[in-house]
Amino acid sequence: MNFFGLARRSVFRKPVKSILLLLIVFAISTLLLAGVASKNASVEVQDKTRQAIGAGFLLERNAEYRTKRVRECSEKIGNKEGSFGGYHQKKVVVNGSEGWSGSTTNEFETLDIKDIQKLAKTKGIADYNLTTAITAVNPVNFKRIEDKDVDQNVDVGGVSLIGNKDMKLDRNVLSGNLHIKEGRMITPEDKDMCVISEELSKQNNLKIGDKISFNDYHDTENSKVSEAEIVGIYQVDQKMSPLMQGDTYRSENVIFTDLRFPEKAEGETSPLYEKAYFKVEDVEAYDEVKENLQKVDINWEQYDLIDNNGNSETMSSNFNDLAKVSEMMILVISVASFVILVLVFLFWLKNRVQEVGIFLSLGVPKFRIIGQIWSEAIMIAVLSLMLSFAVAPAVSKVTANYLVSQQVQQMQEEEKNNEGKVSTEYVAPKQDVQNISVEVTPEMYLLDGVSVLVLITASVLVSGIVILKRNPKDILSEMS
Amino acid sequence: MLEVKNVSYAYKTKKDKTILNNVSATFEEGIFYTIVGPSGAGKTTLLSLLAGLDTAVKGTVLCNGEDITKKGLNYHRKHNISLVFQNYNLIDYLTTVENVKLGGSGNAEKLLEEVGIGKEYWQRNVLQLSGGQQQRVAIARALASDAHVLLADEPTGNLDETTADEIIALLKKTAHELGKCVVVVTHSKHLAEEADEILEIKNGAISFLSD
Repeated sequence: MNFFGLARRSVFRKPVKSILLLLIVFAISTLLLAGVASKNASVEVQDKTRQAIGAGFLLERNAEYRTKRVRECSEKIGNKEGSFGGYHQKKVVVNGSEGWSGSTTNEFETLDIKDIQKLAKTKGIADYNLTTAITAVNPVNFKRIEDKDVDQNVDVGGVSLIGNKDMKLDRNVLSGNLHIKEGRMITPEDKDMCVISEELSKQNNLKIGDKISFNDYHDTENSKVSEAEIVGIYQVDQKMSPLMQGDTYRSENVIFTDLRFPEKAEGETSPLYEKAYFKVEDVEAYDEVKENLQKVDINWEQYDLIDNNGNSETMSSNFNDLAKVSEMMILVISVASFVILVLVFLFWLKNRVQEVGIFLSLGVPKFRIIGQIWSEAIMIAVLSLMLSFAVAPAVSKVTANYLVSQQVQQMQEEEKNNEGKVSTEYVAPKQDVQNISVEVTPEMYLLDGVSVLVLITASVLVSGIVILKRNPKDILSEMS
Repeated sequence: MLEVKNVSYAYKTKKDKTILNNVSATFEEGIFYTIVGPSGAGKTTLLSLLAGLDTAVKGTVLCNGEDITKKGLNYHRKHNISLVFQNYNLIDYLTTVENVKLGGSGNAEKLLEEVGIGKEYWQRNVLQLSGGQQQRVAIARALASDAHVLLADEPTGNLDETTADEIIALLKKTAHELGKCVVVVTHSKHLAEEADEILEIKNGAISFLSD
């Protein structure tokens, strides 16, 4: 009788130990599959989230190029006062010593609208937005929000305007920093329109349809007053990053306007477009669209094309945590499974020491005895794997849901801890996981099957060595 | 046939306690031997050395003139000897006939008939048989092997007198009719007296009482 025949008889005629091992291997296999599936599910969530928030690219002026241009313009003007290419040079005397002071016009600083329009036509770009620089202006017919405890001497006493071509693509909106509570956002067709914070609205009893006025804070008495109609009131979910210290730039005093309003309010004649955002139509084609953009014939030296990963990265990092948790789960299950299986087989062999002794006395080689034990374990494992494969999709979904809910809970707790704090840098937006898709693929089944078989083989070998290194006479003596 | 030559044995943990001291003996086919002696004298140790279950500190065990370690102790146990134990040592998840088949290529059913196990017991789980029947199955398993030497350690130790007599008769038959060398370790005076040759182990030495 070969060892396979013996193994088969042992498995079916000693059902209690077989069922015990079956349950253990079933649990190991199912948990391993759930871990692998959850790890994969996290990636899917990450992509879906990116699609939901709108993957895109941000275009900004390159800081080094600006410095280079300032230097070139200064050299052209020479050692005298004057202007060149939007750069003004003026002699100043500080503490008795002479020096040069430079200033720039909006034309010098702004993104080139022609370049933006060229880029917007690139294949794969669904939409685009232009955002002006944050513009400090004086509130004429309303009062801004002020913190009495803050020293306002260094502040210009104004509010901040952010002009947008299409407010729904503003960075603050995309990243979930705010949402419209009443009214609507700024659209490309708007002119002299604005959206204010609910705090500003409450303090000044302002409502949709009201008009508010601004002028240049440098000359609040004589400068031209510009008026904008309130079309929306927003609520802050995460405090927006202040540009600099002072209440002019605090979240509640930020007013979103149409694209050309800020220049009008501060008495300028040309706009200062600081950022352009290009929304990608299909996130799957993200890299391809990026390549297309970079091929557009513009002077790239003056721009930085930034992956719009502010939001995505945060999500990615959170769900990478999930992937790490899944990986940790797989590792812990693997190690624990190995230990448990070794103990099970040690216990198993200890109870079968008589059988081992009989086989040894019959001249059966040790490797054949190990082979029989291994065959028994594999037979049971195959059945366990079939069972675990059947329940894996459901268990994996439950596991992934649990792990994601833990992540979300953790994020919410962090959010709660940060409540009321004014951010000094970019704040992670509020994130809601809508749905988690978990798929158990054939590759995962294969990986799980191989892992379980490797675990069993290693466990049988380790436990087998412990028993079989003993002298046959000692085993037989123990029997008697 | 089977020979111990100048064999000494001491427990590895108690080196000062010598169990066998330079003993020699030869066991021939067709003869029924019993080994007697006080408890702890080394009877089972000698049987273990003959069976290749353990190795001597000094000296050699020869089978057909060849050192049993030469081809390996597993080979020796599989091809040269067969064993019968006091507690039968049958595999508990196998039937009667399957247990006999473990012994070798011999006709299991015929052997079971020869040792007096009726057909109605053949397909039963071996643990459902009585002690005497189990020992008969163990002997049938030993006979299923091609080995010419049958070594038994207290084969009647757990049996009543009548059953023990039947087992003794079976062992004698194995030696005299099947021409095998049967070596039995026993405390039983009755069993010892049935042997063709009686060896006594005492104080590490071996002597033939029947001479």
